[in-house]
Amino acid sequence: MADKRSQVSAKIKITIIVVVLSVAVVLGVKSLKAFVKGSVQANISARVKGDKKAPVHITEFIDFECPACAEGARHIKKFMTEHPPTVYLELKYFPLSSHRYGLLSAQYAECAGRQGKFWPFHDYLIERQANWKRLAHAAPAFEQIAQDVDMNLEILSQCLKDTSVTESIQKDRQEGDTLGIKSTPTYYINGKMVVGAASLGTELNKYVQEAGH
Amino acid sequence: MTSGFEKVISPHQNFLYVIQSYAFLNPLLEEMAAHLLPWCEFFIGIFLVLGLWLNRSLLGLAFLLVMFLEAVAQAILRHLPIEECGCFGGLMSFPLPSVLVFDTALFILTGLMYYKIEKTQRFSLDQYLFKNEAP
Repeated sequence: MADKRSQVSAKIKITIIVVVLSVAVVLGVKSLKAFVKGSVQANISARVKGDKKAPVHITEFIDFECPACAEGARHIKKFMTEHPPTVYLELKYFPLSSHRYGLLSAQYAECAGRQGKFWPFHDYLIERQANWKRLAHAAPAFEQIAQDVDMNLEILSQCLKDTSVTESIQKDRQEGDTLGIKSTPTYYINGKMVVGAASLGTELNKYVQEAGH
Repeated sequence: MTSGFEKVISPHQNFLYVIQSYAFLNPLLEEMAAHLLPWCEFFIGIFLVLGLWLNRSLLGLAFLLVMFLEAVAQAILRHLPIEECGCFGGLMSFPLPSVLVFDTALFILTGLMYYKIEKTQRFSLDQYLFKNEAP
């Protein structure tokens, strides 16, 4: 009996050691990641909207082919319409490798931004997402959007060959990877990480309640 | 263990998003699950690999698998728009029907291992350190 009790006691001690070591490893890895991570970088490109002095800063990491991103975009647009001076929005690219047109749509959007047409192009991409994502070749659909927002197609064609476009997108992607982003849409609302349209809605509603808007 | 480890070292918001996609729990339970489930997975995995508290770990694994199967099955029945899109991150991602088949197979295997616990324990810490302890 005493032997059994001492065995159980030894087993519990070993369990505690295993648990403590495991937690130490996890905390060590998390600390290392936090040390490397840094913070969200400010965006000085055309992909910003709203007043920089607004109380709610949202940085969104987006893949234009992601349905939840489309839902989130509609939600933010509605929120900005209902509470006009409260949001400053910055967009960053996070194309997912599993999306056929994630990178291509980002390239077109970046080129639209270089002609000062980022947001109109973005809005059409979101609005027509269900259509173009099913196509065997989406480039013609993006060219059509470019025409609809009155872009210079010649300049667009040159822009799409410019390697700095892809570099810009990859830079955002790498920033997202460093921050630990795995899914889209991922938002940073006043520095707080929020993933998905549902959590976005909850967070924005919290702000409205706290601010008494 | 690997799955749990990857989740505990990542921001919990990533896993919260996955849970929300299944529309299975209320917001409070979703938050709790996002914080607790990865640790449960992680520790159950560790104990299984080490063969420590093997019978309890197998029961814990079976319980987790039942939860996952329920969540996936109801998502399929409700035709929830959870596609194999990598929207759940850059790691492996499978269509829901495949997940259902895989988890069912894993559940059956877990059951067999629990039923044949003496054989399962053969190279475990439980057996090595505590030879006389009944399963």
